[in-house]
Amino acid sequence: MGENSGFSCPEQQRVGCGLGGIYTALSIGGVLPVLHSGPGCIHAMNSVLSLSNGGQNPVPFMELSVPCSNLSEEDVVFGAGGKIRSVLEHALRYYKAEIFLIITGCSAEIIGEDMQEVADEFSTPEKTVLPVALPGFKGNNVWGHGQILSALIDGFVEPYGERGTVKGRVNVLGVVPFYDPMWAGTLERLECLLKQIGLEPNILYGRDKGIQELKRIPTAEFNLVLAPWTDLDAAKKLKRKFGTPYVHFPYMPVGPTAEAELIRVLTETAALDVQKTESIIKDRTDRYFYYFDRNLNWLFDMHNQRSLPREFFANTSASAALSITKYLVWDLGLSPRKIFIPEDVPKKHQPGVRDLFLQTAKGYLKEEDIVFTDDGGLFEQYLKDVDQTVRKSAVFGSIWDDITAKKANMPFVPVGTPYGDNLICDKNYFGTDGALCLMADLYNDAEKKGLLSAVI
Amino acid sequence: MPIDLNQEEPQIRELRTRSVTGYDGTLKDITQQGCCGCLKNKKRCFTTGSYCTHLPAITSVLGLPDTLVVDHAPIGCCGVEMTFSGGYSMNEPFAPGEYRDNVRMFTSKLTESDTVFGGEEKLKEVVRGAFHRHHPKEIYIATSCTSSIIGEDVGAAAAEMTEELGIPVTVLGAAGMRSNLWSVGFEAHFHSVGKTRFRAPEKKTDTIVYAGFASVASEAVEPIFKKLGLDMAFLTAGSTKEDYEKACTARVSFGQCDVDASYILTYLEQEYGVKYFHLHQPNGGIGFERFMRDLGGYLGREKEAEEIIREEREKYREKIEELKPLLKGKTALVALGAGYAFEMVRMLKELGMEAVHAVSFHYDPLIDATEDRTARSPVADAEELGIDYPVTVNNAQEMENYLIVKKYKPDIVVTRAHGAGSWSAFTGVPCLDPGLGINIIGYRGLYLFADALASSFRNTAVFDALKARYVSPFTDEFEALPPHSFYAKAGEEGVPHKPYKKSGEEVLSWERIADSPARSSRE
Ligand code: SF4
Repeated sequence: MGENSGFSCPEQQRVGCGLGGIYTALSIGGVLPVLHSGPGCIHAMNSVLSLSNGGQNPVPFMELSVPCSNLSEEDVVFGAGGKIRSVLEHALRYYKAEIFLIITGCSAEIIGEDMQEVADEFSTPEKTVLPVALPGFKGNNVWGHGQILSALIDGFVEPYGERGTVKGRVNVLGVVPFYDPMWAGTLERLECLLKQIGLEPNILYGRDKGIQELKRIPTAEFNLVLAPWTDLDAAKKLKRKFGTPYVHFPYMPVGPTAEAELIRVLTETAALDVQKTESIIKDRTDRYFYYFDRNLNWLFDMHNQRSLPREFFANTSASAALSITKYLVWDLGLSPRKIFIPEDVPKKHQPGVRDLFLQTAKGYLKEEDIVFTDDGGLFEQYLKDVDQTVRKSAVFGSIWDDITAKKANMPFVPVGTPYGDNLICDKNYFGTDGALCLMADLYNDAEKKGLLSAVI
Repeated sequence: MPIDLNQEEPQIRELRTRSVTGYDGTLKDITQQGCCGCLKNKKRCFTTGSYCTHLPAITSVLGLPDTLVVDHAPIGCCGVEMTFSGGYSMNEPFAPGEYRDNVRMFTSKLTESDTVFGGEEKLKEVVRGAFHRHHPKEIYIATSCTSSIIGEDVGAAAAEMTEELGIPVTVLGAAGMRSNLWSVGFEAHFHSVGKTRFRAPEKKTDTIVYAGFASVASEAVEPIFKKLGLDMAFLTAGSTKEDYEKACTARVSFGQCDVDASYILTYLEQEYGVKYFHLHQPNGGIGFERFMRDLGGYLGREKEAEEIIREEREKYREKIEELKPLLKGKTALVALGAGYAFEMVRMLKELGMEAVHAVSFHYDPLIDATEDRTARSPVADAEELGIDYPVTVNNAQEMENYLIVKKYKPDIVVTRAHGAGSWSAFTGVPCLDPGLGINIIGYRGLYLFADALASSFRNTAVFDALKARYVSPFTDEFEALPPHSFYAKAGEEGVPHKPYKKSGEEVLSWERIADSPARSSRE
């Protein structure tokens, strides 16, 4: 059996395959993936990462305008180098883009033709063509995201990037566009905050972000990684290539405690004006508590504390789980019971991620409570044996857990992919403002399910 | 050729029904070429991403009660299922207040080393694990591009698991690269489920089978068939074993469209003598009248059929007439699957609108049920009604559709689920999902469609706003192209600008591929 022994039983898809990395490309203006894959691969990604993930599609290049060689059986037998060349050649003429990524999926990778040769053939000084191999058999979309970033850094940022260092400029890393369903709204809010404290954030994805931001990468004073493990490799690469130091703040802040911590770390790193940043912290925290205090009757009088969810489970990406754990444990007073991370965190990062959860959970979690898995359905199975008569807990996860939670009558909040077949728009849980929204979502769902009562 | 469910998966449509995905011309022309057997597929030198069999095959099976699917594929492929199940099956209505279970979708998660050393052991492990986790009554193992390229013997694994677990474990043919038509996945679903569930009936019953995606709105048609003395049986993405068994006892059948239903209904006719009505689909008023007369004639219940037609026509006449002035003179462009595109054009015409162009996501010159190439519903429309209009065939090639919409400037684009709606809205052209299945049947269906169209024209503010803001992300060169610019030039058949020389020897081109023995031996 070899590597297959002890093989788990993966169900409930919560990741795309490597090819899902194209969403990172599609989030950067002026970058166009050109697929060398089967005709349905784009749709397999679209389903998990965009359509059923808060109804968000990339703009302007919506999925079905993405060029693709639509490989067939004949191509596997006779080769498909001609086909991808033809598609790429037209794509270069038809799409307003500057970077064209030839993305190879499983079938193209099995055929195994040399795409570097194709890329070199079609690259011009105005248009960069880069090959990126993203077959699903090599990894999931988080891995794919890393491959895209790495290809862009090596193939575009290094040769065409600006040089020199701009004081206060900071590249924001750690967010995987679309895989973090709230990526767009979150990055906008983060950008505002970083500007407010006196930094010049260089954000790569979203509205109006594109080639210029890529070119600026080498000029950052430092890189900021806002995730437990994603993009750490990219930050190390940037350090190697451009000597840019990086700050690893392990979660996108949600809630007043995390937000203040981030601002203080940045203040120290970039030697910002302490008085100014402290007053920003105070103002934002005050605002949070003004709105929080306006709920005191509802929270602690009408719906007494006994019926509010006091504990929680998470079944989602390490990033989303850690962000909400920080808020729920440090600000809202809930305790984690078990954290499932069904995203295939690479082995080398697992110890670090586990430690982060242990630290963030203030001792409420034991080592075995952090479960690394590729099986999204494990949580549902686990829950069957959990006695819930006295310890009603909330669930944070994806649409799959929505049903699990409904059946178990537990409050539920979606935080990860696939977010749901609903519209996410610019929703985010970032910082103090976002935390209020998260709190409302949590307690509203408990209320809707009839869990909050003054008389129990 | 008879349909053989003992095979692992259906033969692809390119071979069975001689289907094409590249054509432009008119309805008269395509139907005539189809009839004489000379319709040729046009190949493209530029293509965009589309769909594959994985989606319809898997999503159709996932909704079946007490079943589960194991995708024998790398981790990404089974993602297709989220679109239509969103984590749970929306295929059939469910009692209010009761929550469905999550659909049960597993993957064998083929890795790079599996592509070298094989993944069958791993597959069996997942099948076992899935069985012990959920105790389903049936398991389907979906094949994928990767499992078929590396030559996995999924059939052997399924047979072994059937033996070991004591429930049917069946292969579900879902390798996307087998066909250019994703609709092959619909028949793959019926093929595998039919193989598992059909039983020779002990007796015949007065039943009419309906095959389609869902039985939504069944209450609207059941009383109609009751008047002809017929009960209904549904073969849909939510059917039980009993539904399949009941279908075998039926006398007659029809489907939501001949793309989804023809394969399985042909099989029922072939094996159990269930007469399949396909020449006239019962959609809209005209379709309904023709279909009812065919059916009434066959059953010897002509009088009842005429009575039903009269009643239905009368029931919706006023409502439809009221809406017609709002639709008069409006133009529409249709972009739908082959089973619906031509049907919706006829319904638009019935409502007094003009269909300026129809894009069909493929075209079948033949239907499974018969060798007679004239027995096709688009042919019936062209000949019986004498209608004609420009037609394009492409497998959801949105860059092509973009240019077609741009050329025809319709008042509305009637489309669904394959990208044309998003792009027409983005560029400021109103679009509408016309509905499908039972909801477009008969005068009721015509009324619902008319009402939806009228509401679309009532307030177009959202499209107007998008139009005012639209900036094309494409180059001027692209924007200036005529619609059908992506066909490989005659004699070139997709030879790229710079022919690809594989290590300096032979030139690979699409032409060679097209003429390869693999293709010609099948003709
Ligand atoms: S796993 Fe491979 S074949 Fe499947 S969608 Fe991803 S790239 Fe395509």
